[in-house]
Amino acid sequence: MNNNRIKAGITVFPGSNCDFDVYYVLNDIFGLNTSYIWHKDKINDMRSYDFIVIPGGFSYGDYLRSGALAARGLIMESLKDYAANGGIILGICNGFQILLEAGLLAGAMLTNNSLRFECKDVYLNVLKDDTPFTCDIKKGSILRMPIAHHDGNYFAAHDIIQDFNKNDNIIFKYCDSAGEPTEDSNPNGSLLNIAGIIGENFNIMGLMPHPERSSEKLMGSEDGGYIFKSIIKYIKGK
Amino acid sequence: MKKQDNKHEKAENKNYKLFGLSQDEYKEIGKLLKHEPDDFELGIFSAMWSEHCSYKSSKVYLQTLPSKGDKVLIGPGENAGVVDFGDGDVLVFKMESHNHPSFIEPFQGSATGVGGIMRDIFTMGARPLANLNSLRFGSHLHPKTPYYLSEVVKGVGFYGNCMGVPTVGGEVVFDECYNDNILVNAFTIGIAKQDRIFLSSKCEVENIVIYVGSATGMDGIHGATMASEEFDSKNNKKRSTVQVGDPFTEKLLLEACIEAMDRKLIVSIQDMGAAGLTSSSFEMADKSGHGMTIDLDAIPLRTSGMAPVEIMLSESQERMLLSCRGENLDALSSVFDKWGLSCVKVGEVIDEKNIKFYYKSKLYKIFDVDTVVNGPVYERPKRKPDYLKKILPIKINNYEIPKNINDIAARLIMHPNIASKRPVFTQYDYTIGTNTIVPPGFSAAVLRIKNEGNGNRLTKGFLLDINGNSKYTYLDPYIGSALAVIECARNISACGGTPVAITDCLNFASPEDPETMWQFSEAVKGIKEAAIKLKTPVISGNVSFYNETVRKEGGNAVASKIYPTPVIGMVGFIEDIDRVVTPYFKDDGDEIFLLGRLKGDLGGSLYMEYFHKDFRQKPMDIDLDYEVNLHNCLRSMINGGYIKSAVDISEGGIFTALTESSITNPDKTLGFVVEYEDKEMRLDAFLFAELEQAFVLTLNNKAKPKEFFEKASFYDIPIKMIGVVKEGVIKINSAIELKSDKIKKEYYSVIKNILSK
Repeated sequence: MNNNRIKAGITVFPGSNCDFDVYYVLNDIFGLNTSYIWHKDKINDMRSYDFIVIPGGFSYGDYLRSGALAARGLIMESLKDYAANGGIILGICNGFQILLEAGLLAGAMLTNNSLRFECKDVYLNVLKDDTPFTCDIKKGSILRMPIAHHDGNYFAAHDIIQDFNKNDNIIFKYCDSAGEPTEDSNPNGSLLNIAGIIGENFNIMGLMPHPERSSEKLMGSEDGGYIFKSIIKYIKGK
Repeated sequence: MKKQDNKHEKAENKNYKLFGLSQDEYKEIGKLLKHEPDDFELGIFSAMWSEHCSYKSSKVYLQTLPSKGDKVLIGPGENAGVVDFGDGDVLVFKMESHNHPSFIEPFQGSATGVGGIMRDIFTMGARPLANLNSLRFGSHLHPKTPYYLSEVVKGVGFYGNCMGVPTVGGEVVFDECYNDNILVNAFTIGIAKQDRIFLSSKCEVENIVIYVGSATGMDGIHGATMASEEFDSKNNKKRSTVQVGDPFTEKLLLEACIEAMDRKLIVSIQDMGAAGLTSSSFEMADKSGHGMTIDLDAIPLRTSGMAPVEIMLSESQERMLLSCRGENLDALSSVFDKWGLSCVKVGEVIDEKNIKFYYKSKLYKIFDVDTVVNGPVYERPKRKPDYLKKILPIKINNYEIPKNINDIAARLIMHPNIASKRPVFTQYDYTIGTNTIVPPGFSAAVLRIKNEGNGNRLTKGFLLDINGNSKYTYLDPYIGSALAVIECARNISACGGTPVAITDCLNFASPEDPETMWQFSEAVKGIKEAAIKLKTPVISGNVSFYNETVRKEGGNAVASKIYPTPVIGMVGFIEDIDRVVTPYFKDDGDEIFLLGRLKGDLGGSLYMEYFHKDFRQKPMDIDLDYEVNLHNCLRSMINGGYIKSAVDISEGGIFTALTESSITNPDKTLGFVVEYEDKEMRLDAFLFAELEQAFVLTLNNKAKPKEFFEKASFYDIPIKMIGVVKEGVIKINSAIELKSDKIKKEYYSVIKNILSK
């Protein structure tokens, strides 16, 4: 299967601002058949998309809580159907926050423990390699990607974390360059250094770092590209 | 106050002072109108005749700046300047001050400064690609500085991050001259297609005048006049003149405007910036040579009961005035409706040079456009300041070489003006847009552009830098301002770029003070000379006067004035972004070269200020021809592929240049061993002199030294090996020996500590 046979959708909410960057990587770098999905578009059947990305940004200005308003938008009903039917959804940064607010992933985001916006490169330890998002990455790999967020301090109640541990839902942890999830390497105070989680059916993933900003050598790291390569590999193998 | 002129029947409208007009200006308005002006008329005239909008004190000098060049498509006068970037692409950029609002309310003031300059850019049809800024605060020891720093940085980030425009660089400077007047200068650059630039001048008779964006509220009323007078100790009262920013709405406005422009639904467009609806309507009318009707009843309002003058002077943010053809009104409305923005017909373009205001369904006022727009132009009195008589070239032998020079060097790196600004930059999203090749914190920011949907990669890129040097400008306004231009060019050349054009923000105290006016005229001369030599025309910019605060000290009113602070924003081009050179050392064992010459003049240096507590010396003259030749030499070396790292010498001298090159490598901690011998120059002069025309270089392993040296001799620039890169140690002769990792830790912690106060 050629890459251009893979159909990727990128949701656009008012205030989404990483939509162009994701589009560039999917369309221009990986050559996928990529299109935007406007939040008010009535899409009867999202199943024609091989996967959907909810990109980062400040949907509705993040004025209520990050992602809260977008999570209640028109398009979310179709997205929930898509998810229920096993559709693959990747939420990046604000997209992750939207997935949490929509209840598609468990837990919540608090303000960074620095109380400031944090933009920097972080290291991520890959804890799982048998998912659509990481099947082209070896477990234990260390990826370098940028973060850029104000509310990325992941939190979940004790029982959720217990379930996560039982079901292997924690997929990325912030770590140092040697792979240790140290306190210093945690950029926002996230519980257990959690940077990304995957839903119980392994078809929905949310992560705070930006793989689309680290998919080209010119950007200083191509590590984020492995997430998109994994999705492509998974779809081709289906 | 003078006695009233009895010839006028109506009483003098004493409100003119509240509107910031002088008595002479008030009388002039009365003469032009042939009656005593009412508040509405005073409001319109005061806004358009304010220093901020009219440049009445600076115009005669600004006209002397070079504004033309091969690559300049649009110079000063529009919302922003435009340069040709090749392949049908143009870059649109401008810098603007938001000093007064930021001092009153630092978070909203800086946020709306950033919002305002981005609107200037996308008004021209360009999508903003990057923001930079120049921030100046009082002494780092002043109790309010941590608050201002923290709030301003938050405000800048709040707006830029939400808009999705990366903030890729800038400067943060501390000096006690800004204790009572902080400076916030914001720069935005955007990209457009050459055949799709939008101008306010294009509107045609019978076009419909449209208001889009946020509703009009009471915020920001008198903003332009506030920025045109000095503060007094009661400036808290002016809080209501600060606008409140809504970056989410501006993001929608950006997307809606670009979409409407792409669909050719807009004829002309003007941002409602300073003096809001007043300046946008008059400028649009003036530049197009037509007039328009404005129906005040149609303006969307946030609060009921706003007086007509308040509607006209509101500086509520995120609003635009545009004109469209009648047949496109429905399509235009549907675009703005899609983005959830109001889009209202408020008037029509008419075939007469008047603006006719309607209110409560009746003709309310008529203004002749020329009368309002062509305000007074002043050639204000100027006088060389007295203090300059005492500013003489340094007599270095009057100062001893400190015995503990090792400690002094270590402490200089920890000076907040030298220490890393990383704790500031990490609060800005600098990676969004995926164009940032060199992030903030190094010489110049470097960006690529994408060739979306076309497969083949573009190699061209552009470079951005911002610099000011107010201390040198205070000591010699001509040299200091020329240095600001030169410093930008050095940073761009050190990355391998070619300087192309500049924008400037001229921050000064009151123009009514002849000494300030003299500083201003000298500063403009300095910019002019440097810009001509470096072939970087000034294509946009802004002037901010009245950066002074009157304080009561022991019963006397004392004016606290900023140093004259011209800030330069420069744009450069590079043909091949793979050739970009970064300033930091790369590998242990690399030989370190000095390209250029050292003079060792310490006059006005940070070292003199910090350790000898005396920096009031005349800075050395800069040889502009030598400078240009030096840059050409370095660029040819970079183009030849010889250079692994390059950095200029500026604040903190060669010691700082070498040390920063060692500790700013993102992947490792390096150091250096430098041997220096010169009987003519003292060690402290070698280490800390700042006005050197020289670069510190390391070479690529594959470099062919012979050809490399030939380049230097071709340009007749001296080149000398001065040491080697060495891991872990910072060592110069036997005088300085420091541990790199310790210095690095301190270098990155200083600003963090100020922020956490």
